[in-house]
Amino acid sequence: MIFFGILVAGLFLSLVAQEFIQPLAWLYGARVLLMPIVMFYGALALPYWGMLALAFLGGLMWDAVTVPVVDSTVEISLGWSILLYATLGAIMSGFRPLFQRGRWEIHCLMSGFFTSVIVLAEYLMITIRRGGLIFPNEVWWRVGGAGVIAALLSPFFFFTLNWLAPFVGYEIKPEQKGIL
Amino acid sequence: MRRTNIVASVVFILAVGIILALNPRNTIKVQSAFLGMVAPFFRTGSALRVRIDNYHKALKSLAQLEHDNALLVVENSALKTDNETLRGLEQENNRLRRAIGYEERSVFQLIPARIIARDSGTWWNTVKIDRGFDDGIDPDMPVLTEDGLVGKTTAVSKNMSTVLLIADETCKVAASVEGTREQGIVRGERTSTSSQPEISLSYLSKTADIKPGQKVYTSGVGGVYPSGVAIGVIKDFKVRELDGRATVIPAVDLTTLQDVFIVVGKK
Repeated sequence: MIFFGILVAGLFLSLVAQEFIQPLAWLYGARVLLMPIVMFYGALALPYWGMLALAFLGGLMWDAVTVPVVDSTVEISLGWSILLYATLGAIMSGFRPLFQRGRWEIHCLMSGFFTSVIVLAEYLMITIRRGGLIFPNEVWWRVGGAGVIAALLSPFFFFTLNWLAPFVGYEIKPEQKGIL
Repeated sequence: MRRTNIVASVVFILAVGIILALNPRNTIKVQSAFLGMVAPFFRTGSALRVRIDNYHKALKSLAQLEHDNALLVVENSALKTDNETLRGLEQENNRLRRAIGYEERSVFQLIPARIIARDSGTWWNTVKIDRGFDDGIDPDMPVLTEDGLVGKTTAVSKNMSTVLLIADETCKVAASVEGTREQGIVRGERTSTSSQPEISLSYLSKTADIKPGQKVYTSGVGGVYPSGVAIGVIKDFKVRELDGRATVIPAVDLTTLQDVFIVVGKK
């Protein structure tokens, strides 16, 4: 439970921290997104119910901070991120056994790929809502850029959180059969 | 599947269902409540960043500081004089407007605010400011600087608000072009290629005599933005199938913005 609390605090702090990181002009405005990394680590380290709880809190926080309500119109419904995080978290959860065997590289790459999926899903939703399917190069740079940065930062986050777990008496146990 | 997981899944689906079913009014309430919770963290982070910036600025030499101070003193005197002259002109203008039966033109009542975070999402152009309900801020209040229009407030919490910038595609402003009778709608672009975002002015007449360099101002139509606030300068004008469309360079540099004013009413 303490470790779950640490991960929730981690989600919150990473959400606040990423607000202070400027979009990368040289990557066409791609953003450094830290919160999804913590969320995906949680999906690997926590049991299924923990992953769902983390996805719920993370998705809710994300939508509350990022999605603007303009002229009393909600462009993306509050809560859609929860579903997306839970779906991606469930896929990540399936790779737990490999993670427990100390193979991190796949999860770091998946973390990057899934971060791109989140950014692309956001774009698709606003594109459908606003009309006009516009896909200039900048869109792909922003989608891909956010993923590459997340993949590069993942090892640091994964290592730190994995190192922290035993200190609070948490052991990552194989709760269910994964797909690997 | 274990029983705990089944129960967790059912609870999760119910909770998500409730959240997704929220109407815009309740969504705003949830957003405001959450912004109120995170506000102290944003303020602390912003204050920390300002301190770091100031530390770098403080490394200037004493001679440089003396020089800067001397320039600021001169500038301050000049601005005071300008201010006095303008105040006189304002009174005279209002007197003349009254004389010919025009409504008196008031200056805005402004509340200064500092930007504490920017661009939360990848696809939205927003900033967060350190003012909220406690300071008299409400949603849909115009935000500007001495150079021109910045945007309007959206989600407002106790002591923090989100400002939708004019560079955002969902921010629409009724505008008019200097020296013409042309009126149109200014809105941002979904994605921008340049570092300084460009905005567009649509629904102009196809025969409009619009040239680069002409200024664009708010027209006041719609009620959200007061009239006469600078939006930007025309970059180019193109005739489309049904209307004319101009590209506008914003009057305010939205990428380096630090301090803004919220229009809370008229004096």
